[in-house]
Amino acid sequence: MTTTAPSRQAPPAGPAQHGTPPVVPRWRRRLRPYLLSVPAVAIIIGILYPFFLGVYYAFLNYSAVNPNPVLVGFDNFRSVLSDPEFWTSVRVTATYAFVATGLETVLGIGIALLLNRSSIVGRIFEKVLILPLMIAPVIAAVIWKLMFNPQFGVLNHVLGLGSTFDWLSRDRALWSTILVDLWIYTPFVAILVLAGLRSLPKEPFEASEVDGAGWFYMFRRLMLPMMWPYILVAVIFRLMDCLKIFDIVYVLTAGGPGDATRTLQVGAFEDSITNLNYSRGSTYMFLLWILVFAVARYLVSVLGKAQRRAAGAEG
Amino acid sequence: MTTRRSLLAAGLGAASLPVLNACGVGGGTADNSGDAAGEVTGGFDWKKASGTKLKILQTPHPYQQAFQPLLKDFTALTGIEVQADLVAEADYFTKLNTELAGRTGAHDVFMTGAYFIWQYGPPGWMEDLNPWLQNTSATSPDYDFDDIYEGLRTSTRWDFKPGSPLGTGGQWAIPWGFETNVLAYNKRIFDQRGIKPAESFDELIQLATDLTDRSKNQYGIAFRGSKSWASIHPGYMTQFSREGGKDYTAEGGKLVAAMNSPQAVEFTRKWVNLAKAAGPTSWTTYEYPDATRDLGNGNAVMVYDADSATYPKNRPGASKEAGNLAWHPGPPGPDGSYATNLWTWSLAMNAASKQKLAAWLFIQWATGKEAMSNATKSAFADPTRKSVFDGSFKQTLGGFPGYLETFEKVVDQTKIQFTPQTKFFETTEDWAVALQDIYAGQDAKARLDALAESNTKKLAS
Repeated sequence: MTTTAPSRQAPPAGPAQHGTPPVVPRWRRRLRPYLLSVPAVAIIIGILYPFFLGVYYAFLNYSAVNPNPVLVGFDNFRSVLSDPEFWTSVRVTATYAFVATGLETVLGIGIALLLNRSSIVGRIFEKVLILPLMIAPVIAAVIWKLMFNPQFGVLNHVLGLGSTFDWLSRDRALWSTILVDLWIYTPFVAILVLAGLRSLPKEPFEASEVDGAGWFYMFRRLMLPMMWPYILVAVIFRLMDCLKIFDIVYVLTAGGPGDATRTLQVGAFEDSITNLNYSRGSTYMFLLWILVFAVARYLVSVLGKAQRRAAGAEG
Repeated sequence: MTTRRSLLAAGLGAASLPVLNACGVGGGTADNSGDAAGEVTGGFDWKKASGTKLKILQTPHPYQQAFQPLLKDFTALTGIEVQADLVAEADYFTKLNTELAGRTGAHDVFMTGAYFIWQYGPPGWMEDLNPWLQNTSATSPDYDFDDIYEGLRTSTRWDFKPGSPLGTGGQWAIPWGFETNVLAYNKRIFDQRGIKPAESFDELIQLATDLTDRSKNQYGIAFRGSKSWASIHPGYMTQFSREGGKDYTAEGGKLVAAMNSPQAVEFTRKWVNLAKAAGPTSWTTYEYPDATRDLGNGNAVMVYDADSATYPKNRPGASKEAGNLAWHPGPPGPDGSYATNLWTWSLAMNAASKQKLAAWLFIQWATGKEAMSNATKSAFADPTRKSVFDGSFKQTLGGFPGYLETFEKVVDQTKIQFTPQTKFFETTEDWAVALQDIYAGQDAKARLDALAESNTKKLAS
């Protein structure tokens, strides 16, 4: 058996010993950031390749009946933007997104505030609340479609509406689809806000209580400003999702009756998949991307400000 | 900071765009220049592609369900293994569209309807089966293609020239099962009231209205009304044709939409009023399973749709009203016309398939006399072969009053009543949207005028 005396020389490589930084060749140091970003780049390529392909299609006249397309400049944009159907889709999408997000935010905050009070009922509801999120939106929409059925659906039966009340008529279809969205996604907002509520420091609230501040005052002046970043995150997620809504609407109404629920995604689907007009569908999607980008850009900047304000960096 | 935020926002948005492109659309034109059929030589032998594994794409329709247990017979006969992938009918053509456009050749054989040939054929996504039919090395001498009803054989042939009649050009699919669109009714209720099916369209409206009692959750007649081309082709197109309507006329070599002719407007107005007065409350969402479900449950007294869709509801134990259903051709037109629109589920070969001989052997077997005859012992209706219809299928119709008489009354005038054109789905879905708009209160003439103008422009572009 032999023993080796500790060497006085620094090891050529390996972990640092006694706080001495390892000597890493310069080329490896330069390469490291690029190597670290490889997985992210690989994922981004998966998104960017079809994205740019879609943008490219928007400038072609590509369809099933014209499989050898040529560049047509902005013809597709001119055609889509001058089509009243497109503007109907913009109106429907905006109505859906802002109404659903607004209601989900208000309801979500309300539910979170109720659940924040520790009680057995609250703890049970917390568990139940997450159930709609565990159901795929398509399945939820199928279930709701059955419940909406005037002939045998449970809603008309329970509400005593008989067999003549049509939840998916032209006047009601958009609101019914929003109702389904509320059912699925209000818990998402509630859970996010609840997590924020539980992370708030207790001291400012205790101090305010000692000073005699009322509940509403504390809610408006303390809780809401501190909660604002959490609420904004929920709003950003929901608004982006709602602007891109497809599954719930398509299952319930396929965009009908008429154009009553034809969102931009449904319009793009009709053009690309049903009508096999890929260029027109891609144009729809690119215009939707611009809308989503503009809204996301604005909300992300608001979120940044809110985060700095909550951290006390801004007045 | 601004750049980071922009990137974050762009990422959120970009994630919305790839959906369609990720589906695989955009594979370009098929290289359909090979002569796969011509490469098959020698005597015919079912075992010529033994050891191959074939993938077929189907929807869980009664046709598919009737054939599923028979697939082992095909494997025993040919040595070819078959993997049948099923996609629900509501999503079937979405899946098929993206797959064919992607040119992956993932499925060798697929179920399709005749209208789809008008869209899938021109880009070269389908194999012309005529060379296979003509090649005696690839086709059994017992196959007897002419035994398939002529109207069906011609419905799956086309030369891809818009407006050109069906029956010329390539044979793009082989009819497998087909449907005539006629009236099915609840005979129990009719007998209780001592009434008979209507013999004119106005009588049908009156009868359906009289049979409607919303307080008892009973309504007169169900037919499709959802936002889909499929709402136009069954009952609507059948009665539209009987009442003298035409979808397009050829003028100066161009197709001009004619669904706003005086007869068409008058009929459409009545049809929509019928839906309001005696149809399902949620008519604008109704697809055929909704209509036939209501018939089977006793909510709908009549259904104007495919005979093969209502047929399974009368099989013992299949529905509450099983055994109480009967069939009628539906009202003839003013001139006595029984013009009827047909749908045929056919089998087609993917032009991108790498196993075309095996694919052809499967199509040949499934549309052959023996397999089709065996399939009629379960829920396979209607067979496309005259010999099978007159043979094994007729024997199953004992408990289906009026089914055979109805079939025989309309079959000679049953064909595709639409004008073939490559923008069928887009223009026909627009037609369904127009019906929904009229249902919501828009004026029938103004709405159909707008539709006709729009469709004429689309076909000219």
